[in-house]
Amino acid sequence: MLRPMAKKISAVDRARAAAAAKKGGGAPAGINRGVVLMVLAALVPFSLPTVVLVGFGMLPTLASWATEKGPNKYAFLCVGGLNFAGVFPYLFTLWFGVHTLDEAFRMLTDPIMLMTAYGCSAIGWGIYAAMPPMVASYLSASSQRRVNNLKAAQKKLIEEWGDEVAKKG
Amino acid sequence: MSEIDEAEVELDPAEDGDGGDVKVEVVKQTGPPGVLRDRYTIRSSQPLPELSTPSADAFVAEDKRDPNRALFGLICKPELPPRVNAMRALKGVSTPGLMQLVEWGPMNWPPAGRQCMTVVYERPGGDRVMTSMRSDVPRIDEYQITKRVIEPLTAALKEMDSRGVPHRSIRPTNLFYADGNGERLAFGDCVCAPPAFDQSVLFETVESGMCTPIARGSGDHTEDFYSLGVTIAFLILGRNPVVGLSDDAILGMKIQQGSYNMLIGDERLPLPMIELLRGLLCDDGSQRWDAEDLDLWLSGRRMSPLQPRGEKRAARGFPFMGKEYFNGRELSQAMSRNWDQAIPPVVEGKLELWLRRAVEDKDKANVVAEVVRMALNSSTDKKSSTDLMLCKVLILLDQAAPIRYKGFNAMPDGFGSALAAVMASRGDTRLLTEIILREVPRLWFEMRGEYQPDNSLMESNFKELRSYLSQTGMGYGLERCLYELNDALPCQSLLLGEEYVVEVKELLPALNAAASKRADGKQIPVDRHIAAFLGARMRSDIDRNLTALSDSNQGVAMMGALNLFAVLQYRLGPESLPGLAAWVGAMIAPIVQGFHGREKRKELEKEIPRLVRKGSVVEIYNLLENSEERVRDEQEFTFAQAQYAAAEEEIKHIITETEERAAEADKIGRQTAAVSGIIVAMITASVVVISAVF
Repeated sequence: MLRPMAKKISAVDRARAAAAAKKGGGAPAGINRGVVLMVLAALVPFSLPTVVLVGFGMLPTLASWATEKGPNKYAFLCVGGLNFAGVFPYLFTLWFGVHTLDEAFRMLTDPIMLMTAYGCSAIGWGIYAAMPPMVASYLSASSQRRVNNLKAAQKKLIEEWGDEVAKKG
Repeated sequence: MSEIDEAEVELDPAEDGDGGDVKVEVVKQTGPPGVLRDRYTIRSSQPLPELSTPSADAFVAEDKRDPNRALFGLICKPELPPRVNAMRALKGVSTPGLMQLVEWGPMNWPPAGRQCMTVVYERPGGDRVMTSMRSDVPRIDEYQITKRVIEPLTAALKEMDSRGVPHRSIRPTNLFYADGNGERLAFGDCVCAPPAFDQSVLFETVESGMCTPIARGSGDHTEDFYSLGVTIAFLILGRNPVVGLSDDAILGMKIQQGSYNMLIGDERLPLPMIELLRGLLCDDGSQRWDAEDLDLWLSGRRMSPLQPRGEKRAARGFPFMGKEYFNGRELSQAMSRNWDQAIPPVVEGKLELWLRRAVEDKDKANVVAEVVRMALNSSTDKKSSTDLMLCKVLILLDQAAPIRYKGFNAMPDGFGSALAAVMASRGDTRLLTEIILREVPRLWFEMRGEYQPDNSLMESNFKELRSYLSQTGMGYGLERCLYELNDALPCQSLLLGEEYVVEVKELLPALNAAASKRADGKQIPVDRHIAAFLGARMRSDIDRNLTALSDSNQGVAMMGALNLFAVLQYRLGPESLPGLAAWVGAMIAPIVQGFHGREKRKELEKEIPRLVRKGSVVEIYNLLENSEERVRDEQEFTFAQAQYAAAEEEIKHIITETEERAAEADKIGRQTAAVSGIIVAMITASVVVISAVF
């Protein structure tokens, strides 16, 4: 009974369903993203200098979010964290100093500020690029150590019980 | 000539025509003496040919406790099974008509280089009555014969009857003057050879005479009285009345004329003697005189002489092998001697026709016809079915005759000694095996008609033998039949070397002694003979051990042997058997290897030498047969195997799952980087806020 029904679903439909599943469901993500944008848009009239500073200062984060492909998209968190660490001192100065659009633009044109913000994001990229191989090599070493331990245990068993212990019981 | 006949040519005492002759050549044997039971010295340098028997050589014997006692020792031939039960029964018996058996037992006999069964007798006061079957014998008249011959010999037969042992070697060449005056006669040895083995056909009943000599069986006392009758006839006549006649001719005459007529013929004898001889020489065993009749005769009561009742003579003879036969007994005997030639006339119905028309025995003819029809319609092998058919026909023709099959004729109780002799001479045992497997004795018991209580016992014994023979494992087969049939036969195992083992309790000491001389270091101390010997002799059920002995796993087989030896040592001793323990200790590697744990093995290998030095097979067995240890070892081994397999599985998993691990590492790396970024952001924010506030 199940087989004929399964045949009615076309290959294209199945590919679409698979892509949707891979993305983690298209519709809910779209809604969240819209809500966030709407909240941000509502805040713009009240803190336009902050938005400008963050908008320009955090461009590498936006870029990392937009450019990363694949199932494990964590680059924007790493780059974003470092990027934010670079932007936050200036943002704090803006909030507790002169919170005007001019001051925001002055900060954005300050090469030190840009170098700090973008340099930090570069460090973030570096960390993001270096961390998986490091973890991989750590895991590999750990596995090898486990194999060695198991082989040593097997050798001890053979010493204790003879070669026949290796035969299937 | 059948294979059994061929095998026994050298064992047949009748080959020189008068089997009762005594060896006259001087046996030149020198060397150190043998000592029996630390008391009787047998001088190998002093042979006594005048006291030798056809189956045993005589030598001077001395009693260490009483050097003046006149003794002689008989050394039995190793290839013949001696009558050990008769030795047990007759030891120390002192009766006027019997040479006193003083001691018996296996003894190391230097001339033979091995242990031989030895029997020590008191030396008779006089000579042998008749030195050869051809020689004359001093005639004893009717007045003396009662006192000198009949009274002492009857007393001896009564004594033996009370002990349940027939003599079966009664003949003038085995009679001695018990005293120097020749006043009294005494029987000579009867235990050194199988019953009636040395007897000429002349001294045996018709039925016993038909048998292969080795297979005559112990029979009963009626056969002894028959032999006594023939012996008395010799003494009264003063000669051998049928000298020069062959055994076949004597047997034929006995069948045709009757024993009395053949021996006495037209001789004129006093009426009491006629009465006595007709009674003793009666060919019908149930009519023959026994001790009671002899007592009556000795007390003076006279009876009318028994008249022979011969078989009905046929109107015309049955032509077979160029001769005509007029009665069934004679014909069946001729057919049994010409087995292959006898089958065609029976199958063609000539015998049935002869029985129907010439003998006028329709019942017998009908049975023969039925037997032939069944054989021809049999779906089994034609040759074997016709052999069995002829066997049945021969039983029908002469129901008193022994078991006759392909030229081998045997009484059921003589089968054992025949098997023993054939196996001892390494002869061909196929015919004997065939007889047991085809249940020939059963046919004999069934077709004889008359019921005898002993028969059912023997029949069930043969059934058991068949079941033993059909099993091929250690402790069964023909060897088991050998020991079941001969309850006093020494163990024939080559592992025992020259040791002579008749009883189970003698086995371990013999193996212990043989251990030091063994050449083959790989042979376990049990072979087919020892296993069969124990199977037949041990009172307890050892089938489980015998099954273990046949196991293809050497450890199981050795454990079975060890268990047997441990039980024997525990029950029968001796306490210390260092030789056997060392032998066993060298063979237990498969048992030790039965334990999986290397530590346990080392522990056992360390412990065993101590127990070997102690000579305790029981302790070696207890050490190795610790069931709790064995179960624990097995369980721990199984657990270790599981551990090993799990480790193997995990290693394989780690090695083969590299792609998955790389993907996993990538994911974890990215997540770690992300978390690091967030933490850096949080720390920076916190530092900025704190520095701004303070």
